[in-house]
Amino acid sequence: MSALEVAGLTKDFRKLRAVDDVAFELQPGRITALVGESGSGKSTVARVIARLYEPTAGSVRFEGRDATSRARRHDVLRYRSQVQMIFQDPFGSLNPVKTVAHHIERPLRIHRIVPRSQVKARVQELLETVGLVPPEQIAPKYPHELSGGQRQRVAIARALAVEPSVVLADEPTSMLDVSIRIGVLNLMLKLKEERGLTFLYVTHDLASARYVADDMLVMYAGQIVEQGPTEQVLQNPLHPYTRLLLSAVPDAGRSREAFARAPRRVADATVGCRFVARCPLAIDLCRREAPTLEEAHPSQSARCHVTAPRSWQASA
Amino acid sequence: MSQLEPTVLELPVAAPPRARTLRRVRVPGWLLLLLRNPKSRTGLLMIGTIVLVALIAPLISVSDPNGFSITAARQAPSWHHLFGTTDQGSDIFSQVVVGARRSLLLGLAAGALATALATVLGITAAYSGGVVDDVVNFLINVFLTIPPIPLLVVVSGYLKARGMGTMILVLAAVLWAFEARILRGQALSLKNRDFIHAAKVSGESTWRIVFGELMPNMISRIAAAFVLVFYIALLTDAGLEFLGLGDQSKTSWGVTLYWAQTNSTVLQGEWWPFLFPGAALALTVLGLVLVLAGIDEVSNPRLRVFRPKRGVLRTLLVGARA
Amino acid sequence: MTGVLEGEMQELRRQATDALVELRDLVVDYAAPEGRVRAVDHVSLEIRPGEIVGLAGESGCGKTTVANAIMQILRPPARVTGGRILFQGEDLIGRSSEDLRRYRWRNVSMVFQSAMNALNPVMRVGDQFVDMMRAHERIPRRDALARAEELLELVGIDGRRVRAYPHELSGGMRQRVIIAMALALRPELVIMDEPTTALDVVVQREILQEVDALKRELGFAVLFITHDLSLLLEFADRIGIMYAGELVETAPARGFAEEALHPYTLGLLRSFPPVTGPLERMKGIPGTPPDLAKPPSGCRFHPRCPHCLPEDAPLHARQTQERPVLREVGAGHRVACHLVEAGTS
Repeated sequence: MSALEVAGLTKDFRKLRAVDDVAFELQPGRITALVGESGSGKSTVARVIARLYEPTAGSVRFEGRDATSRARRHDVLRYRSQVQMIFQDPFGSLNPVKTVAHHIERPLRIHRIVPRSQVKARVQELLETVGLVPPEQIAPKYPHELSGGQRQRVAIARALAVEPSVVLADEPTSMLDVSIRIGVLNLMLKLKEERGLTFLYVTHDLASARYVADDMLVMYAGQIVEQGPTEQVLQNPLHPYTRLLLSAVPDAGRSREAFARAPRRVADATVGCRFVARCPLAIDLCRREAPTLEEAHPSQSARCHVTAPRSWQASA
Repeated sequence: MSQLEPTVLELPVAAPPRARTLRRVRVPGWLLLLLRNPKSRTGLLMIGTIVLVALIAPLISVSDPNGFSITAARQAPSWHHLFGTTDQGSDIFSQVVVGARRSLLLGLAAGALATALATVLGITAAYSGGVVDDVVNFLINVFLTIPPIPLLVVVSGYLKARGMGTMILVLAAVLWAFEARILRGQALSLKNRDFIHAAKVSGESTWRIVFGELMPNMISRIAAAFVLVFYIALLTDAGLEFLGLGDQSKTSWGVTLYWAQTNSTVLQGEWWPFLFPGAALALTVLGLVLVLAGIDEVSNPRLRVFRPKRGVLRTLLVGARA
Repeated sequence: MTGVLEGEMQELRRQATDALVELRDLVVDYAAPEGRVRAVDHVSLEIRPGEIVGLAGESGCGKTTVANAIMQILRPPARVTGGRILFQGEDLIGRSSEDLRRYRWRNVSMVFQSAMNALNPVMRVGDQFVDMMRAHERIPRRDALARAEELLELVGIDGRRVRAYPHELSGGMRQRVIIAMALALRPELVIMDEPTTALDVVVQREILQEVDALKRELGFAVLFITHDLSLLLEFADRIGIMYAGELVETAPARGFAEEALHPYTLGLLRSFPPVTGPLERMKGIPGTPPDLAKPPSGCRFHPRCPHCLPEDAPLHARQTQERPVLREVGAGHRVACHLVEAGTS
């Protein structure tokens, strides 16, 4: 029973297809990483799920209902009380003229999570949960008086206020100092373990994805090109793009090895596989026909003719 | 981890001052800020004085502002006529003091109405986008391209009612579009910031996002729009009177200035019909602009400066930084 | 104590003849409304010809200020208030602005973080090269354009792209253009300030490999400034770690991860989750970097240091009152830490 399902999701911005027929499920109580470079469409996927954009095609199903259709305010509110989002820029996601307390109080009041008399107390509890102590000193502060890590924790507290079941985290650590990142990632892990929250962790950083995520989805040019359990995908990557990413990540643990220099980048192809211009494994078929996502190992799929060819065995 | 987050022991500067009770009067935090900022304090004093003068005008104006007197015409300022007299013999001091009422009221009302229109339409258009934005944009462009004087002439031909109300409406109608465009532009740049998206994801209604999250970030600009409209309203006041929209029997700064200009008084070396009403207008606007500086601090917590509490008298004598 | 100092001085003098750029006790202050902020506090560093020196640290540590000081582009309210900046043995401080103008870009050039900030969006790429070259030498436009084409090819871009506008190029290509511009006058040192932070991992690696190859071909040195220590471990020859305006550790890159000693360096290393190998819960570094207007007394890292001793320990007084000094602990390896000095760690 999945927490949230995305099926056939497509989003166009004028002529640009940012997201192309994306489908996946978020398993409850697990962190799923959505990994890709800028321009891969990963942030767009998160924003569609958050109902900030309307999809061009496809659906997001939550609790058995399509969350992307034009719904009544009551239904939208219900959805928003269950699916929340954390943004990339800690300063940009907070209103500069409002206090920390305001940011956390608003969702509490809108969704009537607690009676009015208990709102202040709940704000302090939430601040303590995310490690912002002493809460009575943090609550009246304005965003510019906090550090980047503190701001991001406020954003997390705000998301937690409605007691959601799914949290979409869009590159929550990429604008934070390196030594602060682990703290925020550990907080996510703690929330997953203690509260059974489901996370969609959007990132371009494979290392942090490995650190927090149970499952991994790799996106390229608007499509999912590989998916599976994190360790499995990283130890045995199927799609050539995943392999390329993995070899490009700086890692202290590896020696200075030669990196297979990909051929000069040209525009992605329109017919056939989108990765063909950069792919060391490309065969003739790749230029003619676009591959589909096929399961090559148990629970691991990839979109590649060579490493995950379409199975000829008819599905039973 | 908790004890290593910086705990703040010094006064949080950006928090607004708690409302204080001065002799059983609750003074709100924002007013305190305005009073503590030296610029806005000066501005408030200036405006306060002018408003006070306008209020007690009937008490201090010795002559009828519209009174004729051939013998007293074109007299320079003297003890009898503090600001001199016009070419018709009317006492300019009375005109300025009594005229203050109409001018201030006109500026305030027209400014408020035009700014309110510009704010609501501009921000709503920016945030809603789509058809709403197209419609409002079209309206703005129409109102911007229509030359004001012909518009006023046409309108005055249709309107039966005369007087303040009509003038206020007409002024607001002519002046809202300019500011609406500017406010729309600012709202457009703000609406794609993540905190607006975050408010949406939290479940805030559109109305609350526009007025509760977006607009508070625009207060400085809105206040500045008000001051500009105020100023222009006062200047065009005379033109409207001339077109017959106003009430001929009432006087105002604009009217006084208008007659001073048409009678070529300066050419004859008579500076007083210009200087006094002009100075009144200029000082009022200057006061408003100084208050704007304080409003910046009220609306933007990042600009707030720590000012230790001290008595008003001490501040006046010693200065704020001593 | 003096013996060690003398040894230091001797070594410095020995290296002085080798070093391309040498910072000796550099101090840079900012005049901020709340008082004087010391952005760089007695930093000493050498860069030898042809080597890649990495400077790592987090926001506010002063690494960009160091770069700006070497480039001599510090503007008020920032000022060099102490120490010396030597280029090929000669002090840059106090040189005439004409000398400095020739020095910049010819001897030392800089690659900034965001190419879009450095490229004029309404000029073609080739024209920007021409502009820059003609500011430094008399050269006919046609020749300058030809050089521009060559330089683009050098960094892996089709030479015909000289006619392109910056927005027509991808992020990676724009960054390559910036690098080409930095190399145009064949400088001896190229300072790169977070050159690949805004780029994706694959492009980043391509560009760094190209820079490596170019370095071997043209023989320039690189000062590579970044917050991403893991990049430096693969790419640099020597690494320096900065914290709160001070240089706390320098060591060769080879074996850096195994031999690092300073608690901050260790904390930083432990902030990068591994992509391969065993995975375990990491701690990062609790707390936040200090306010440079009021830095902690003694060792600047002591409020966050897991090894900071409790109040009754004898070393505690030193840790909280005395600033540790960089001391040599191994071949080319220097650490500024009381604990390391005392032999415990």
